Amino acid sequence: MAEITGIYTASHTPVMLNFPDNIPAALKDEIFAAYKAMGDDFMAGKPDALIVLSNDHLHNFFLDNFPAYCIGCAESYESPIEHWLHAKRRTIAGDQAFGSYLLQNALEAEFDPSFSMEMVLDHGSLTPLELAGVDPDLPIVPVLINCVQPPMPTMRRSYNLGKFLGQAIADYDGVERVAILATGGISHDIATPRMGMVNEVFDETFLSHMESGDVDATIRYATDFVHTAGNGCEEIRMWMAAMGAANGAAFERTYYKAVNDWYTGIGIGRFRVS
Amino acid sequence: MANWQEMMPSTRAYLMDKVLYELHHKPDHLEAYTTDADAYLARFGLPDDLATAIRSNDVAGMYLTGVNPYLLRAHCIGVKIPEAESLAALRRLLDHEDYNDG
Ligand SMILES: [Fe+2]
Repeated sequence: MAEITGIYTASHTPVMLNFPDNIPAALKDEIFAAYKAMGDDFMAGKPDALIVLSNDHLHNFFLDNFPAYCIGCAESYESPIEHWLHAKRRTIAGDQAFGSYLLQNALEAEFDPSFSMEMVLDHGSLTPLELAGVDPDLPIVPVLINCVQPPMPTMRRSYNLGKFLGQAIADYDGVERVAILATGGISHDIATPRMGMVNEVFDETFLSHMESGDVDATIRYATDFVHTAGNGCEEIRMWMAAMGAANGAAFERTYYKAVNDWYTGIGIGRFRVS
Repeated sequence: MANWQEMMPSTRAYLMDKVLYELHHKPDHLEAYTTDADAYLARFGLPDDLATAIRSNDVAGMYLTGVNPYLLRAHCIGVKIPEAESLAALRRLLDHEDYNDG
């Protein structure tokens, strides 16, 4: 029986690594410190494994075969896959047995994720891990959700998948302590005419819904208003999954700022699971 | 405006996606493109307007083909189109009435 030591949500963007100085130094330092604080907080829970809920940005997956959900079942993960990302090439440990367990149990529970033993992680997983200062030897299981190529799974389905994951993790005997990092969003547009126009009203409303603990209202808002907040905002599917895994635990934002010059509403939060 | 131009990729968008994907993921493709863009693009049998948009770094033109925005974004960074230039090209397409503040 594994204990969930923490569930965190955090934005990601390659701009943080490629063009960090597009914003004033003081703001950059403040944001990097908020990621570091998140990392310190979740390492304090002494997890033995980390579930990374994230998305691929058309690097591992293409239109030849595009999974709605994909669970990583590899012994290790190279990163980054982007030749243009300003990040040191590194290898992150994987928990293959845990990934295989989650995959098989998902199928038993009538979810139908694909799986991969060849994933090379992109900035969506690497950036928050790097900024949080997570030990690359902490074994991870990546769970990727399609948020980048319509048609995509619904917000509610992603919440339900998270709910399944929370229960399956709790039932797992292979490790004792597990943290979850869900990464993506909040408001941002990638390569559209709106790029750089963060919808702060959406982000504030969304975070307030998350904090209210009203799951149905949060899923409804995410579903009905995501179109006002940019294609990058579709990544709040990972926040839905985190909310499912949290199984009713209270959410609190630890950081938020609309950062137009990074094109992104930078939000960080956690669920009070322990 | 909506988050997506196409809720299912059209064949034109797919063709654009295919080039921009292979260009930045297949070994030696970026080098081949940089060396001789026309010869590289000829491999794909694209309609002329699509090949022209790619070759001329016409960010707005590429966007309007319905190309996946993540592939377009990675391409802009990958072939080093200046940030300000790609941002301005996209922004010029913004009809104020399109902007939906929720
Ligand atoms: Fe992303």
